[in-house]
Amino acid sequence: MRLSPARVLVVAVPLVLAAGIALGSVALSPAAVWQGLTNGASAHALIVRELRLPRVLLAFLVGGSLGVSGAVLQALVRNPLADPYLLGLSGGAGLGAVIAIALDAGTAWAVPASAFAGALAAVALVYRLAVVSGRRLDPRVLLLAGVVVGAFAAAVMSAVIVLSDAPRLRNAFLWLLGGFSAASWSALAIFAAYAAVPVLVMARSGRALDLLALGDETAHHLGADPERTKRLVYVAASLLTAASVATCGIIGFVGLVVPHAMRRLGSPLHRALLPASFLGGGAFLVAADTIARTVLRPVELPVGVVTALVGVPLFALLLRKSVS
Amino acid sequence: MSGRLIRLLGSTAAATLVALAGCRAREAPRDHALVVVDDAGDTVRLAGPARRIVSLIPATTELLFAIGAGPDLVGRTRWCDFPAEAAAVPDVGDGMTPNLEAVAATRPDLVVLYNSGQNGTAAERLRALGIPAVRVRSDLLADVPRLARLLGTLTDRRGAAESLSVAFDSSLAAATVPAANRRPSVFLLVWDQPPMTVGKGSYLSELLERAGAVNAYADLPTSSGQISIESVAERNPDLVFTMNAGAPAFAGRPEWQRIPAIRERRFVHAPGSEFSRPSPRAPAAIRTLSARIAEASAPR
Amino acid sequence: MTAIGALIESRGLSVRYHGALRAALDDVSMSVSPGELVAIAGPNGSGKTTLLRALLGLVRPERGDAWIGGRPAAEWERAALARTVGVVTQREETVFPLRVHDTVMLGRYAHLGPLASPRAADRAAVAAALARCDVAGFAERGVDELSGGEWQRVRVARALAQEPKALVLDEPTASLDVRHEMELFELIHGLVRGGLAGLVVTHQLNLAARFADRIVLLDEGRVVAQGAPHAVLERDVVARVFRWPVAVTTWCDGSPQVVPLRTGESSLPPSPPFTSGSTDR
Repeated sequence: MRLSPARVLVVAVPLVLAAGIALGSVALSPAAVWQGLTNGASAHALIVRELRLPRVLLAFLVGGSLGVSGAVLQALVRNPLADPYLLGLSGGAGLGAVIAIALDAGTAWAVPASAFAGALAAVALVYRLAVVSGRRLDPRVLLLAGVVVGAFAAAVMSAVIVLSDAPRLRNAFLWLLGGFSAASWSALAIFAAYAAVPVLVMARSGRALDLLALGDETAHHLGADPERTKRLVYVAASLLTAASVATCGIIGFVGLVVPHAMRRLGSPLHRALLPASFLGGGAFLVAADTIARTVLRPVELPVGVVTALVGVPLFALLLRKSVS
Repeated sequence: MSGRLIRLLGSTAAATLVALAGCRAREAPRDHALVVVDDAGDTVRLAGPARRIVSLIPATTELLFAIGAGPDLVGRTRWCDFPAEAAAVPDVGDGMTPNLEAVAATRPDLVVLYNSGQNGTAAERLRALGIPAVRVRSDLLADVPRLARLLGTLTDRRGAAESLSVAFDSSLAAATVPAANRRPSVFLLVWDQPPMTVGKGSYLSELLERAGAVNAYADLPTSSGQISIESVAERNPDLVFTMNAGAPAFAGRPEWQRIPAIRERRFVHAPGSEFSRPSPRAPAAIRTLSARIAEASAPR
Repeated sequence: MTAIGALIESRGLSVRYHGALRAALDDVSMSVSPGELVAIAGPNGSGKTTLLRALLGLVRPERGDAWIGGRPAAEWERAALARTVGVVTQREETVFPLRVHDTVMLGRYAHLGPLASPRAADRAAVAAALARCDVAGFAERGVDELSGGEWQRVRVARALAQEPKALVLDEPTASLDVRHEMELFELIHGLVRGGLAGLVVTHQLNLAARFADRIVLLDEGRVVAQGAPHAVLERDVVARVFRWPVAVTTWCDGSPQVVPLRTGESSLPPSPPFTSGSTDR
């Protein structure tokens, strides 16, 4: 009965990617999609190659990044209910983005860059608050600091929104709810180049995270360096989540539900959990984005809405399964 | 530890810069018949007059029909409701974060977008796909003849556009009520919970001024904003303009009764999309508005 | 200067926490050698855990030093120390319960490092540790399904998997019942007889008397007495240190057994050894 997540993912990931490319706002037959992929001069090449393919790949990368970051942060704060946005990131990113929107900054890169800067500022502030005497990173204080900083940023953000014009208000909300409409090959390349290093750093920390989950003292006695692991992993996960938010707004649930599910259905050992969270997160987000694009076409739902709508029942199912 | 981390961050930044540098959009040099500068300051080049247009702003949809380019429209937003013929044009979704796939599927040779910062990304993406995209502002009366001329240039219907603009300017002047001694002050209630109004820099306010009234909140620092009952009471407007027919829901509430215009139910209402966006129908709108104001001001 | 053959030792160790009025440890000298089990006992706040931490190099002493394997404790590199000393702490987090086998495999971190895959030697060490601690039977069970006693044995197995030369345990029987207490102490005793150096912090004076070769009795950071159990656990000494009247009798194996007195009970003169009903244990 126990289907290991690894086997499920090996089948699910290509299926989901294929579905993401085949389905979209514009209904195309499988033959047309294939033609678009293989023949650069065909009528559908534009849609399939330039719009759908980079979008699906970017959604996969971002979903994977959020999944891995969530898994790592859950180990860091020793709490299976932790989420990459718990550390004040979403508040800071939202504030940065909304300020850029309110100032009607000219270039297209202004909003993502501002969101990224805001996210990093929030993370730095939370880190500063959580470092207790002796330069130790205390997970409980980290959680509290994240909530506090996030709430403060959200309050300032609301004030900015209220004081701005109606169309900017709508723009701000649209951005915050998240989406991949701006996906392009260059955005994909930038995110991939950027994400490679933090993802690698986190992947290498698998066993150290297993030890970290036992508690700082026990980890130390087993030969690990918990402080170094915590710092490294915190920075990597924050950078990656900040980049994700800057790319596509705030998309919740992926970083919370996917690692949780992978841990319940498979092994809690991070050597297996981290790749599973990456692939699972990627597949989940591609599926959510595909649904967002097609369910009410030609209107696109915000991806964050779909991840919540799909994620909540999934999560409830998981909880029931674990209790029974 | 910190040395390693710095190297980590450094290599990440370097990789990002390399990727960024490699992704510059290269435009092939081509002979362009039409070159315009849009409201965002971008130079947009078309190979020829636009014959397959996607209009992502209701105001420009209206204008395109008005200058005779209606048959050339291949896509509109779901909010484009005037003229009636617009319903036959395919709906490609929203105008604010456009659905690029749906737009691209119509194979347009021109896309018209609202000039917002976020639409900048959409415009860039469209241009990268080889589709010319212009971003325009359509907020005030002055935008109507200006946009008409711009669209006329883009669709090679300069004659129709020019005559539309000239006719618009003159009927606008004709419909404008001359300055008089006593102009009623009107409180423009655009939303009731919380109460919001618009200031001088808005289209509705412009219509109001030309219709012979004065905006009670002409001095509002932002073009729209939330106001308090106290400030409305202090300004004591003669009339209240509402977006929906009849008295608004809160009109019966006790705290609003201190405002005479509300207590005495002196409401003005004018439905229709010509009041919410700059349109060639503005002169008629102004006349309607001034008639309704006169009606509502008349002693009972 | 180290005691001959001592694996863990301290000389004149004094530790004061920042801002504290009195020293947590004051001039503590003791040692543990391979093949001997030393118990550290004393009332709450006497510095038992501080002594452990100082011996392992976690706390910087004000005066004196701690040595492990002939080198100062502070100079030991983390992974090398983990390959030499296996520590079972008082408590540990189990937010993400693993299987028993995987838990014990984590003990190989000091040998494997963060990236390497387990090799035959690692698997063998884990299997040996599981067998020695008698937990091989539930190697595939999750640790959240174990009883308190079984969980403690798994933790000892994990420490064993480190293939250490010394085993250090901080209050290992804190919440265990009689049977599991005895099982655990027998296990530790057996491991020490097998060649490890054993250091246990415990409240259980009587079990320390039965199993340990030497007891170090602390009070307010100072060593009150150290040596063989019968030399340390004298009635007056115990009563003074623990501030409670006690009686001390002798069990048939010669070990002193402390009996706390209730109000009204008087301290009895040393009585003849108990005769147990049967001679087998």
